[in-house]
Amino acid sequence: MSRKISKAAVIGSGIMGGGIAALLAGAGVKVLLLDIVPFNLTDEEKKDPAARNRIVEAGMQAALKSQPALFYTKKQAALVSTGNLEDDFDKLADCDWICEVVVENLKIKQDLFKRIDGIRKKGSIISSNTSGIPLYKISEGLSEDFKKHFLGTHFFNPVRWMHLLELIPGKETTQEVLDFMERFGEVNLGKGIVWAKDTPNFIGNRIGIQGIGKIMQAVATADGITVADVDALFGPAMGRPRTAIFGTSDLVGLDTMVHVAANSYDLCPDDEMKDTLVIPEFVKKLVADGNLGNKSKAGFYKKEKTPEGKRLKLMIDPKTGTYVEANKPSFPCLDAAKKAATPAEKMQAVVYGEDAGAKFAWECTANALIYCANRIPEISDTLVEIDNAMKWGYGWESGPFESWDFIGVKKSVEKMEKDGIAVPANVKAMLAGGNETFYKIEKGVQYYYDFASNSYQKVKLNKSALSLVACKADNKVVKTCPSVSLIDIGDGVFCVEFTTKMNALNREIIEFMGNVKDYVMANGAGLVIGNQAGGMPGAFSAGADLSYVLKLCKDKNYAEMDDFLKLAQYGLQDLRYSALPVVAAPYGMTLGGGCEVCLGAADKIVATGDTMMGLVEIGVGLLPAGGGCLNLWKKFLRALPAGVEKDTDLAKLFVPVFLNVAMAKYSMSGANAIENGHLSALVDRIILNRDLQIGEAKKEVLAMVDAGYAPPMKRPLTVMGEGGQGMINAEIYNMQCGGFVSEYDAFLAKRIAYVISGGQVKEGSEVVEEAILALEREAFIDFAKEEKTIARIESMLTTGKPLRN
Amino acid sequence: MREAYIVESVRTPGCKNKRGKFKDTRPEDLLSFILKSCVEKAGINPAEIDDVMVGCAFPEAEQGINIGRIASKMAGFPDSVCGATVNRFCSSGIEAIALATLRVQAGWSDVAMGAGIESMTFVPMGGNKPRPHPEFSKEDPTAYISMGITAENVASRYNVTRQECDEFAAKSNEKAAIAQKNGWFTEIVPTPAVKFVPQADGTFKKETFIVSEDDGVRPGTTAEGIAKLSSPFKFGGVATAANSSQTTDGAAATLVASKEACERLGLKPVAKIIAYAVAGCKSDEMGVGPKYAIPKALKIAGLTIDQIDAFELNEAFATQAIHCVKELGIDINKVNLNGGAIALGHPLGCTGAKITATLLSVLKRTGGKYGIVSMCIGGGMGAAAIFEMV
Repeated sequence: MSRKISKAAVIGSGIMGGGIAALLAGAGVKVLLLDIVPFNLTDEEKKDPAARNRIVEAGMQAALKSQPALFYTKKQAALVSTGNLEDDFDKLADCDWICEVVVENLKIKQDLFKRIDGIRKKGSIISSNTSGIPLYKISEGLSEDFKKHFLGTHFFNPVRWMHLLELIPGKETTQEVLDFMERFGEVNLGKGIVWAKDTPNFIGNRIGIQGIGKIMQAVATADGITVADVDALFGPAMGRPRTAIFGTSDLVGLDTMVHVAANSYDLCPDDEMKDTLVIPEFVKKLVADGNLGNKSKAGFYKKEKTPEGKRLKLMIDPKTGTYVEANKPSFPCLDAAKKAATPAEKMQAVVYGEDAGAKFAWECTANALIYCANRIPEISDTLVEIDNAMKWGYGWESGPFESWDFIGVKKSVEKMEKDGIAVPANVKAMLAGGNETFYKIEKGVQYYYDFASNSYQKVKLNKSALSLVACKADNKVVKTCPSVSLIDIGDGVFCVEFTTKMNALNREIIEFMGNVKDYVMANGAGLVIGNQAGGMPGAFSAGADLSYVLKLCKDKNYAEMDDFLKLAQYGLQDLRYSALPVVAAPYGMTLGGGCEVCLGAADKIVATGDTMMGLVEIGVGLLPAGGGCLNLWKKFLRALPAGVEKDTDLAKLFVPVFLNVAMAKYSMSGANAIENGHLSALVDRIILNRDLQIGEAKKEVLAMVDAGYAPPMKRPLTVMGEGGQGMINAEIYNMQCGGFVSEYDAFLAKRIAYVISGGQVKEGSEVVEEAILALEREAFIDFAKEEKTIARIESMLTTGKPLRN
Repeated sequence: MREAYIVESVRTPGCKNKRGKFKDTRPEDLLSFILKSCVEKAGINPAEIDDVMVGCAFPEAEQGINIGRIASKMAGFPDSVCGATVNRFCSSGIEAIALATLRVQAGWSDVAMGAGIESMTFVPMGGNKPRPHPEFSKEDPTAYISMGITAENVASRYNVTRQECDEFAAKSNEKAAIAQKNGWFTEIVPTPAVKFVPQADGTFKKETFIVSEDDGVRPGTTAEGIAKLSSPFKFGGVATAANSSQTTDGAAATLVASKEACERLGLKPVAKIIAYAVAGCKSDEMGVGPKYAIPKALKIAGLTIDQIDAFELNEAFATQAIHCVKELGIDINKVNLNGGAIALGHPLGCTGAKITATLLSVLKRTGGKYGIVSMCIGGGMGAAAIFEMV
């Protein structure tokens, strides 16, 4: 535990190096980012430090501008200092971890590490981000201390967003270094760790490229299956990203994909499915023609505009090598998958269907599953590593073995054998032993089938990695309904888990929350509000259930609306002032009502790095009326040291709170939510690993319990009053004149200012919480009476986009 | 009424707010320095001064607590010299000179000063604590309207084009650059400024240096070069950062003495104000103010517009300046001969005092007799003063 990484070096400032540097900065580590001095400098430029750092500076700028963003907030870029490999090489002697991310060329890497071996401080960790070159070749001939501290750290692009970090031990790497890097990668950098072996392309790319290779070959010969068909078959229906196979290849770049395939082909001479790695002619032609995917605006797909300006999506026809208009895929198996409720049923519908698409999907899936089973123990000791690599590095919702469980191992093996496909011995042995699944959960613990010992073994998890699925499987649900459950997560702590689509807050959840307090007061010590729904970045809660709100608007049922809002407001406020410590665990979309839950109920918020948090109700013509206006103002106000409140110009707090609500500001990261004020740097916490979030939130609850929790004292709030309303009236008029806001925006914004400032009262007055809650409800109902608000809600429900009217 | 003569009129350079050379210099330092310089150049014992009227558009914080009195004390004037702060927003400086003149004319003072100060770095436009009235801001929000919107309104209501504005802005910079090159800003007194210099140990040290020139002039500005900028005030608008006045720090001072005082103290009269007028207009097009104020002042003086030899027409925005010139039929070749606020800056409450000093140096250089200082005023007014050289 004594090892620390205070300063790290990243060598190579390309998209991966820049991404790793940004991630390290996000974890609070000082980073030295180095790259080469450009080769083509004039004699004069050779003396100019700016010219010498041109490559690294360009890399840094690209990292700052990258979309999706690599830095959590641009301010963290101040932790990254840049330099070049000639003038700044000595600075590596200070670094606790040196991560190499240079071009994939063995000689260049060997030369670089030889220089590093001469300068690095003893005991420092050195790693390579190579995605294909064997590590033992890279470290050949280097010092013993170097080899003891050298390993592979293989990140995936984009580094901030892809959860996977493959760690590859060298032959001589010490256990202390491996243990440390596992913990550092998981806890500090927030990654999902997969232990790989020093085999070509490690795990994710080895499996991923074979699957793509097989499908590319199959589509080149299959009758009546197009590129678009393939992506429909291997998209969400199979639990894969919408971009599926060919869309993803366009995103990654065909050149990169071909390079990875060639690497597998060349370096794995004994691979039994080597033939699937041969790049088909039509793909070779695309690469030769420079059609490398999105970066060259043409790949497997190409977007064009007709002379009439209509957008046209083209796809490559593998038979002719020309672009044709993309068809709209339609297969009975996809229709059946759409109707299916669970991921397992969806997958079964696709692979066991009768149509041509289903048969294609079956052939490729069966091939891929067999390939995976054959890779154990060659590339990893357990099937868990392969599943995790594909989920975290390729964005699959379930890994190959989990998917195999979904379609039924026994049933699929029978079908394979009927089709004359050779089934690996390890899978047959498992079935022969009467074990029909790769995974099982017993008493809240997940087990996997271990081929080596022919038995089930516990899935190894970090101590903080608390799984709600496992708790539920262990009968720990104490209260439940279709939209929400209360789960006993141990040690007297309970977790409120939303389970609606996008975790939208409906009446059922609001009513449920009202009863949670009484239950936990009687049976427990504290509460976590959090869930573990999927998605990248996913949704803690995307806000109130708009279809319910719309129905109330249309029925003009304002009494129920008031009742609903009151229930929500007082449910959250009661939790806040109860003798229970409450920790909210937001991640991903934490919008509108989702944000209000965190602001209102929680003593402390444990958010993830990728938290998109904000009160965005104005987008649908409403305002936060679940206590959001009250609690955001309170969060700002109470951040002042006691005693200075009376002498502070409250406008300095009021304006940003107003803008947060009136401009529907939401953060692009947890760190950004601190900048916006939805999170507090002093009270709340940001963790980068979502897998550890509920466990960490539970720890925070217990820490408050141990410290002798007492709820905050409820006292009136000093408000901005009429002083704030005059400011906003004047400024909104200017924005309206400038055409920056619509008349309706102005109407909404002025009323929002009225609510946040505490209504008709003098600046600096004290107002009770209940008064602001009443102002919220009144304004909400008045807005709900407006046709333009109804139009905004309808637009959001039908198009998913906000309407500006 | 007695004759009241301007004996001396000087100014500090105008420097860009927050980024310019006065960004670390307190407004009281700028003002007290220029008051003292004015008195020294006039060659008069400050004990002779009865009152100091100081124009300031946002007289609060560093510019508050009656900066007119504070700065007089800092200038080393004796306790007997009084001071007041005068506010009519952008015409505060000329208002202060007019008030000093009136005191002398009325016989209430023998010698008085009119001055102006604004550090837009220290006190931002709108002040530190703006609080529009909660009800009136709804009833008539134009009372609090942003100046940029008024500039856009002038453009759209009176057909001023983007092209005209950008050409006008380029010309303003060109004239200012030529004037700087030829040393025509004889009214400027090189002014001490301070800066906080970082030391090796991380602390800062206050150091003094001298500023001799306006620092916002952009030689080489072309209409094409600034055509790409978009309006921050209005979606698709015409008023941009490049064709609007710069926000600026600066101070200026003018000494006014009665005929008798001049004779008694051996002071040399330079000019006199023969008329000063203010005129109201709509708040949401405040930029048109000069087109009402100038005719009003001309009528008081009994002059016609063609008798005026030089105009210092404050360029709050190119849109309003162009409109006023066109509307009044002013010969553009007589307007802002040394460039205007687009190039030289508009330190709000100082501006009237600042461009008075500039006008007198222009009239001296060109041998003109009559000159006008005029500007538009936030809230919907115009001010115009007519000067006659003596």
